[in-house]
Amino acid sequence: MIATLQDTLQTDKEYLRNKFRDPVFDESTGLENETIKSDIQTMAEEMKGLPKPIIKARIFEYITRQVRIDVNPRDWFVGFACWNRKDWFFTPILHQWRDEVFHACSLTTPLRRDLCASGAVAMWPDFDHSVPDWDAVLELGFSGLRERARRYRRGKQTDGTLTETAAAYYEGIEITYTAILEMIERFHAYAMKTADGNPRVLAVADCLKQLRHGVPRNTFEVLEMIYLYFMFGEHIDHMQVRSLSNLDQILQPYYKRDIESGAFTEERIREYIDYFLMQYASINNYWGHPLYLGGTGEDDRSRINDLSYIILEEFDKLNITSPKIQLKIAENTPERFLNVALDMVRRNNSSLVFLGETGIKRAMMSVGFSQEQAREAVISGCYEYNVKAREVGTGPVYLNLLKPLELVFNNGVDPMTGLPVGCRTGDVEILTRFDVFYRAYLQQLSFLLDASFRCVDDFEQYLRDINPANVFSATIENSLKQAKDAFADGSVYNTTAILHTGLATATDALTAVKRWVFEKKELTLMEMKCALEENWQGYEKLRRNILNSKEKYGNNIAEVDHLAEAIARFCANRINLRPNARGGFYKAGMHSARTFITLGEKTGATPDGRKRGEEMSKNVSPSMGMDRNGITALIHSANRIDSAMYPTDYALDVMLHPTTVRGEEGLAALRTVLRTYLAGNGASIHFNIFDADTLRDAQKHPERYESLQVRVCGWNVRFNDLCRKEQEEYIKRAEAVRESTQPEEP
Amino acid sequence: MNLTGCLFDIKRFTVHDGPGARTTLFLKGCSLRCIWCHNPEGIRPEPEPAYYAHKCIHCGECVLVCPYGAHEMEDGIHRYHRETCAACGRCESVCLGKALQWYGREMSVEEAVQAVLEDRAFYEQSGGGCTVSGGEPLLQADFCAAVFAELKKRAIHCAVDTSGAVPWEAFQTVLPHTDLVLFDLKHVEDDVHRQQVGAPNKWILENLRRLSRCGVPIEIRVPVIPHFNADEHSIRAIGEFLRELDHVTTVRLLPYHGAHSKFESLGLPDLLSNVASPDATRMECLAGCLSHVGIPVK
Ligand code: SF4
Ligand code: SF4
Repeated sequence: MIATLQDTLQTDKEYLRNKFRDPVFDESTGLENETIKSDIQTMAEEMKGLPKPIIKARIFEYITRQVRIDVNPRDWFVGFACWNRKDWFFTPILHQWRDEVFHACSLTTPLRRDLCASGAVAMWPDFDHSVPDWDAVLELGFSGLRERARRYRRGKQTDGTLTETAAAYYEGIEITYTAILEMIERFHAYAMKTADGNPRVLAVADCLKQLRHGVPRNTFEVLEMIYLYFMFGEHIDHMQVRSLSNLDQILQPYYKRDIESGAFTEERIREYIDYFLMQYASINNYWGHPLYLGGTGEDDRSRINDLSYIILEEFDKLNITSPKIQLKIAENTPERFLNVALDMVRRNNSSLVFLGETGIKRAMMSVGFSQEQAREAVISGCYEYNVKAREVGTGPVYLNLLKPLELVFNNGVDPMTGLPVGCRTGDVEILTRFDVFYRAYLQQLSFLLDASFRCVDDFEQYLRDINPANVFSATIENSLKQAKDAFADGSVYNTTAILHTGLATATDALTAVKRWVFEKKELTLMEMKCALEENWQGYEKLRRNILNSKEKYGNNIAEVDHLAEAIARFCANRINLRPNARGGFYKAGMHSARTFITLGEKTGATPDGRKRGEEMSKNVSPSMGMDRNGITALIHSANRIDSAMYPTDYALDVMLHPTTVRGEEGLAALRTVLRTYLAGNGASIHFNIFDADTLRDAQKHPERYESLQVRVCGWNVRFNDLCRKEQEEYIKRAEAVRESTQPEEP
Repeated sequence: MNLTGCLFDIKRFTVHDGPGARTTLFLKGCSLRCIWCHNPEGIRPEPEPAYYAHKCIHCGECVLVCPYGAHEMEDGIHRYHRETCAACGRCESVCLGKALQWYGREMSVEEAVQAVLEDRAFYEQSGGGCTVSGGEPLLQADFCAAVFAELKKRAIHCAVDTSGAVPWEAFQTVLPHTDLVLFDLKHVEDDVHRQQVGAPNKWILENLRRLSRCGVPIEIRVPVIPHFNADEHSIRAIGEFLRELDHVTTVRLLPYHGAHSKFESLGLPDLLSNVASPDATRMECLAGCLSHVGIPVK
């Protein structure tokens, strides 16, 4: 029956795009969202005093019973009315719980507020980095996960170790998973009621029936299962699912069986994948929904398989920004696969990120993980590598590496807010040599790190009280074993990442101080301080000279790059393996998310020529437009820093001019950049390929560039969706690329 | 070794100047005067400043340093008088708008070799290497040979991009260290050549014939220029000529692109300022004219 359905993507695309933007639900299927939201507020009030996992589970249950649903003939995946990620039902309740925790952390809460207000750090309790044990999810199914949790609970009961907290933990899972199964049943019943002989709806009903009681048996059921888990975990239970799995590996055995048995044709499987990908394109999480492909198997052979190609090809065809796809690359990765991926990158800047397995291995082993764990690493979020099914890595802090510099100039006080977030390093007059100045910088840096540790250690003790991970915990065996919340501290490795923003800009700024103040003596430190206070007004000549100087990180100038390395190492040494409050340890990370913009807004002018409020560098990338010696110099610079010092992640953005990458030679050129970076010290890399003229034209005629994508940090956005200021930054950078790397046109 | 060369640019990660990712050294000075030149800053042998007027921010810094009064400020507007410039090189480094650019720097063999070696990792990954181009690199054949000799010790692939308009001895100097010659062939008819290139092409063709007997692989590069050789007849004639030659591995047709702003910045007339680049269909059609030659066309 299914085989007679035709390719319907074209006709359904419009529906799919709107599914998560402006959907219409059958009112008879449930209550209005607003009603549910107010009901659950009352419920939370009434249940006050009960253990948090139970309150959350009861509310979860209420939502799943009452929310409107859909099983649509235009879709292979079911519809939830609680789809809006900007308006999660749990948000007000979790915020209240979070504020209670902040209240309890009375010693560090004011400190945290000041640190954030001054822009020294961006800091919050992070719940955005859960990756379920996908193998367990698919092997056990929802009912099997519940059964396994029950077994562990019984075990504790029998040996008399079931404390009250443990009982609440298991009860939270019991209620939650029972609710999930009921909701699947509800979907099924609705599908049967409305199918009216529609073969697709009947097929979906069939799938739901299977997932209600058992485990997925074929490619379609696996995809539906991943999607359902995602919706329950992220959109109802309010904990971001930061990887949709290594989809090619997960699907391969099912796919093989389906093709061999004739259950599905390849076309049909491609169609399922299209519809699956379209769900995420439609949800359109600003940060993208990650999934990863490739890697190396136990036999040291590449894991690139048929599905790796199929998924990439379908993703390419759809030309969407989310999901974002991460590719695990090694020596053994077939050239053909690289070519397919790199060709996508150069044609439409697809949101593909390349991660080198050697880099991952070195990084993970540097904090004591095994080679095997590194090989099986899960890629989550933007670029983070974690031990599969055993590690939860939170990311509660982004450190602004420029702020310590401002604090040195102002003896520990943030100039914009007047907050004394730094330490006393003395008035600038006493900083008479560069080494003294540099030490003051490190002192301030160290001070901010210590303050961050204090705050995080305080609030991270209470993660389970802010957002107990009922859906997620049931997938993590160690959590079940110990009856501890998997996200808070129930994983084998409960790590905390401190992420960095502005490494290159801080390096450039320190270098400028060194060169112009202490060596060339063009001005005194006091005068530099004035220039910064005046936001360079009246100092335009100096500012231009500093900006024009090539002494910036990213130009393969050893002295400058070594300084970047020194700062990176200083931070890494203080962070890595430091015990955290969750029985695990801290790890340093070299990625900046959006803080290169947001923290930049809170940072005054800096000696590298940057003006007040302007963005700073992100990841391990150079300051915007400052890499004037071309791509090879940039790679050399990035490779001077040991990526293994950053066991969370280490990402480099490169921009290339379209003429560099055209034709066969161009493809080879991209491969060369990738391979050289990964063979050096590199870990993750992604590409932006465009010229300034195109971007300018896109500003003028946005309608012609609907599909033009740019990489923000670990995710892509449409150029049209950027605000004017951000667009200008990309144009500035693209102009620099033209000057340095565009080959001569004969 | 105190041999030096005069370079006007070093470009890294060039991917269309021979195999793999390369570093291209651009040597200053050329024996031809092609009106479509895309690197006019490489024509004159002596170092010179270029002035990109659109970048000037009229800061007046250059006025302060020029001993010859070649820069002038008039009502807040900067003017550059090329006639009075003595090319002393003082103004480039103070220019705040990066409007002044200096073309031509003496470099020792060692410096050039070091610059090339920096990107060794990229050659290893891609099978790339070093290309000397210009201008006409073989006008500084001794320098090229010395750089290549050093690079060959480290097994780095070396290519020469030449117009062929040099004495045969210059080829003899570099060939022992050369892995590939990129030979620009513009036209095989002498009168047309004289007119547009400013020199006869007999010795160019003769050099190419001799070169083809040396055993070094040759890539022929034909710049396709409207009103000069962008027609079937000219390209077919080139094809006929190539038939006689050995060791030609590829022919590459390169569509003309203007370099207007460069001409302007150097105070040189751009005679082709109104000429459009040949489009893709034209290029395909011309490539078709070479299909019978038996050499891969790119
Ligand atoms: S190169 Fe020397 S002479 Fe010519 S404009 Fe510059 S400073 Fe004056
Ligand atoms: S120094 Fe440069 S920017 Fe300033 S006036 Fe002279 S040419 Fe123009």
